Amino acid sequence: MKKTFLFLCYALALNIRCWAQNPIILDQFTADPTARVFNGKIYLYPSHDIVPPAGQRQDWFCMEDYHVFSSENLVDWTDHGVIVSQERVPWGKPDGYSMWAPDCVEKGGKYYFYFPNAPREGRGFAIGVAVADHPEGPFTLEPDPIKGVFGIDPCVLVDADGQAYLYWSGRGIRGARLKEDMKAIDDSEEMQGLPEGFKEGPFAFRRGDWYYLTFPWVRKEKGTETLAYAMSRSPLGPWDFKGIIMAEHANSCWTNHHSFVEYQGQWYLFYHHNDLSPQDDKRRSVCIDRVTFNADGTICEVKPSLRGVGVTPATSRIQIDRLSAASFPLDGHLSPVSSSGTSDATAIAFPGWHVTLPQKGSWLRYDAVDFSGLTDAYLVVCAKADANTDFFVREKSPKGKVIAKVQLTVTGAQGTFRRNRSGQWLTLTAPLSHIPSGVTDLVLTCEGTGVSIDWLQFKQRPRYFSPVPPKAKPSTPDDQGFIRRWQLMEPLPQDIPTNTVFTNTWLRQTFDNAFRSTFKAQGAKPKGKWHTLDSETYNVRLFRFAEKYGQQSYGNLFWCQTIIDCPTDIEGVRLAAGSNGASRWWLNDEEVLLLEGDRRMVQDDGVSRRLTLRKGRNLLRCAVINGPGLSDLCVRFVNEQGNPVTNFSVQAP
Amino acid sequence: MRHIHLTLFFLLIASFFVNRSAAQVGAPYIHDPSTLAECDGKYYTFGTGGGGLISDDGWSWHSGAQRPGGGAAPDVLKIGNRYLIIYGATGGGLGGGHNGRILTMWNRTLDPQSPDFRFTEPVEVCTSDGMEDQDAIDPGLLLDPTTGRLWASYGTYFGSIRLIELDPQTGFRVKGNKERDIAIDCEATDLIYRDGWYYLLGTHGTCCDGVNSTYNIVVGRSRSVEGPYLDNVGRDMLHGGGRMVIAAHQRACGPGHFGRTIIDEGVEVMSCHFEADLDRNGRSVLAIRPLLWQNGWPVAGEPLRGGTFKIISERRGYSLELAVDFVRMKQERERFWDIDLSKPTKPIANQTLSEVIGTWPHDEIRVRCSDYMARPHQHWTITPVDSAGGYLSNPYFRITIEGTNRVLAATDTKELTTVSSFTGADEQLWRIEQLTDGTFRLMPKRIPGTPTLNTRYCLYSAADSTPTLAEYDFQSDNAKWRIASLTEK
Repeated sequence: MKKTFLFLCYALALNIRCWAQNPIILDQFTADPTARVFNGKIYLYPSHDIVPPAGQRQDWFCMEDYHVFSSENLVDWTDHGVIVSQERVPWGKPDGYSMWAPDCVEKGGKYYFYFPNAPREGRGFAIGVAVADHPEGPFTLEPDPIKGVFGIDPCVLVDADGQAYLYWSGRGIRGARLKEDMKAIDDSEEMQGLPEGFKEGPFAFRRGDWYYLTFPWVRKEKGTETLAYAMSRSPLGPWDFKGIIMAEHANSCWTNHHSFVEYQGQWYLFYHHNDLSPQDDKRRSVCIDRVTFNADGTICEVKPSLRGVGVTPATSRIQIDRLSAASFPLDGHLSPVSSSGTSDATAIAFPGWHVTLPQKGSWLRYDAVDFSGLTDAYLVVCAKADANTDFFVREKSPKGKVIAKVQLTVTGAQGTFRRNRSGQWLTLTAPLSHIPSGVTDLVLTCEGTGVSIDWLQFKQRPRYFSPVPPKAKPSTPDDQGFIRRWQLMEPLPQDIPTNTVFTNTWLRQTFDNAFRSTFKAQGAKPKGKWHTLDSETYNVRLFRFAEKYGQQSYGNLFWCQTIIDCPTDIEGVRLAAGSNGASRWWLNDEEVLLLEGDRRMVQDDGVSRRLTLRKGRNLLRCAVINGPGLSDLCVRFVNEQGNPVTNFSVQAP
Repeated sequence: MRHIHLTLFFLLIASFFVNRSAAQVGAPYIHDPSTLAECDGKYYTFGTGGGGLISDDGWSWHSGAQRPGGGAAPDVLKIGNRYLIIYGATGGGLGGGHNGRILTMWNRTLDPQSPDFRFTEPVEVCTSDGMEDQDAIDPGLLLDPTTGRLWASYGTYFGSIRLIELDPQTGFRVKGNKERDIAIDCEATDLIYRDGWYYLLGTHGTCCDGVNSTYNIVVGRSRSVEGPYLDNVGRDMLHGGGRMVIAAHQRACGPGHFGRTIIDEGVEVMSCHFEADLDRNGRSVLAIRPLLWQNGWPVAGEPLRGGTFKIISERRGYSLELAVDFVRMKQERERFWDIDLSKPTKPIANQTLSEVIGTWPHDEIRVRCSDYMARPHQHWTITPVDSAGGYLSNPYFRITIEGTNRVLAATDTKELTTVSSFTGADEQLWRIEQLTDGTFRLMPKRIPGTPTLNTRYCLYSAADSTPTLAEYDFQSDNAKWRIASLTEK
């Protein structure tokens, strides 16, 4: 039964890939993050801000349940779903919407989840406990809240000796020893030595011989919350106030709330901001930044970053606006873009962001992008500009090695259907002049007039062909009989506006002339270089071959040849081919098939008359001619029943 | 002289056909029409480039539908009480490059005059970057009736046709859904489900070349929505397979962008555009055809544009005829055991109208069904009535005895009669639709004395020889008729 439940939990778990740029979770609001390390993984227990339903105060905090998230790399977060919801709390008000900042700790193999909630009777807040065998639940709720605790924002510190302490916020910050069962306290006391001013959300932890009590604090009259801290040699103080960990949010998001966690040798500060809902600071989202300590144990002030932590795969959509550093102040250069949209079903609009490189010479840096595994790649970028401009993607510094040059042509381009695209978001691709190895930093530099960028992404190109070395062993047809090894001549450009011109007469004339001049006439010689290649797919992607080896991708004549080597005479077979566009086929210099007119590459589109493949080497040649469209071909030999013939080998002439 | 007469005759015939369009009437000018959608009694379809068409009756169409966002080849689907519109925001290769975006948006109504007419903000559901073998335009929607899951196919010749899953509540892409390649060699695809099979319809051939466009619609099918979609010879659409659903018409070419509409059980139509209507400057027009199902494969029916027919009951095979006296034909009888093989045979002329019409009453004549004998009282001329409007597949018709004005009509007691002249009254007008099995149902436009147009009662075999009007039932051969042309040689 339990197994079934766990299985369900896993089935419901959603993997959120957001590469730990701040904020780290984009599909819902998250606040008051408590991060804990259990069993080598990071678990995150945040509050869950929602848009207030009808009947609830619209401009106030509104929370009805808790989710738990986990990650092994601070980058990929799995949402394990709801662990506690207000209607399940035995002592709670089922429509209190007051499930504020929680905590979760492990002791003796059990996981204790602490959360504030509105009690069914009376006013204010009480603090409840739920217990589980696993960090992601299922959690069993205690029937009553912890006696003697009135307030919010529980935090539990389990000391090295196994003694646990509970801290919370309720008329000042209070602390108490937890009893052995973790569900009751001794007498509580107000924490001493803390500064004047509003305080809440205590988070206590131990590092070496120091105990830290950290908390949101309003230091100025009519100010908003900072994160501040005090230190002590004992868990319940008295405390020695040390100062600020993080200053007030620049956009006056009123609250902040946080936790500290050490993971794989690095300390991290989890906190929140309202980036996903800039107009509403009651809906918040969790961010992470690294934190360091001075030799005397004091904490270095943390500046909230957009970049966050973790390594971003080059192949993901890199939200370049979550940058690490820039040559210009970000005010006015970073703004939401409403491309993600809304629908009737979700009243929440999660805006994206973009960043503007204002002028020539301006740059931005995005740290820690992993290029592992990219060998033949290109850049995709979403950008806009008011005038034609270009920008470079470089490695490490504003003068670093150029990875890609992006030309943004928004006006004056040629072509019937081209429109003026100034000021419009465009998705562009660019080839790479350099592919970095491993993890590196990207720097974008503006090389013309201003440009705005939403995201960029590196993509590995599919492999269409593999080169065949000169002494390679002969190949065989594939399972379905398709012949994949070919000698392909570099394509010969043709001026062909449409494929419907491929009449029988025109094709015969064109192919006859080409065949004679290439292979048969006195002094005939190939007009292009031959390449011996194995196609990675059943169809031979001539378009991609032309892209690499031709002067143009469209409007080409392709020559293809290969040797069919038979162990014995094979009688009564037909050559079965499809091509885009028209094609003509010769077996041992005898024409056997013409695919004429507006052809598409269809398996067995046309077949030859019945043929005999001679014992030994048979030369199979074809010419494909195409105007617009992706040119390709597929060919095999089939028997009387239409089944593939495969008892021969294939090699380059 | 005779030659000139013949030429004139053919010109007349030709002009006759000019008026009998290959497609819908009015101003049905559109490219890539979305699946027909019904909203508050009107029909809507949206095309490439924004805007769209509206029709009151399904037969006559005019511009006026509104869809913002431009781009290529939208589709529309009613889910619950809202309409989901999906469209390619870009123009495909024509717009320069294959970097496409497909978006969805909702509206509570399709009527631009309605106060509720407001599109939600479009949401991107997939893209192509221009380099990959993919062109994210031309989406088509399927709400799987067996699972409630929402799917979209999209793509063009530039690479593969792909399948993605959307959330039917939001129109967003389902989280974690990966694109799946399901076909090549086509564009403007659509998915449909019928009877345990998923069908992928794609447009093959070349578009946008006017009267030389070779567009045609092909189909493959699969037991799973995710494929593989195989054609009738077992060829995967990923290898270019496909079985023809519709090719060019006599006077229109380049059918593309399939959409299926179910009117009633066994009554289905398909919508598409013809790249060029030869009777209308070669413009791209909306066409709606009966959709037939033959051995599990969809095939477009021919448009019914009139002619002379025998109307055969599917019940016993009897022919609809006037209840008049049987007039014996004359014949020089030979004894069958005594045939002189040396004498040449002579043809015997068919009985003609003039030989029998004198025996017929002048006022009302009932109809009955009997075995077909190629007699004048069994030959019916079916003629479109231009002024009478129509329905999705056809205009309304009058059904008269060949060579006369005697017209088939419904009575207020839901029986049948014929009267000596056509007045244009609704009970003399017939809605004729080809059913999915190739037979037809014939419905009077109105039962006399009823306020609304008739969509329930059809020509029906109450007994082998007794036609009447009764409720349409696809499961009953009593409701079905075969219309066999006598004018084609």
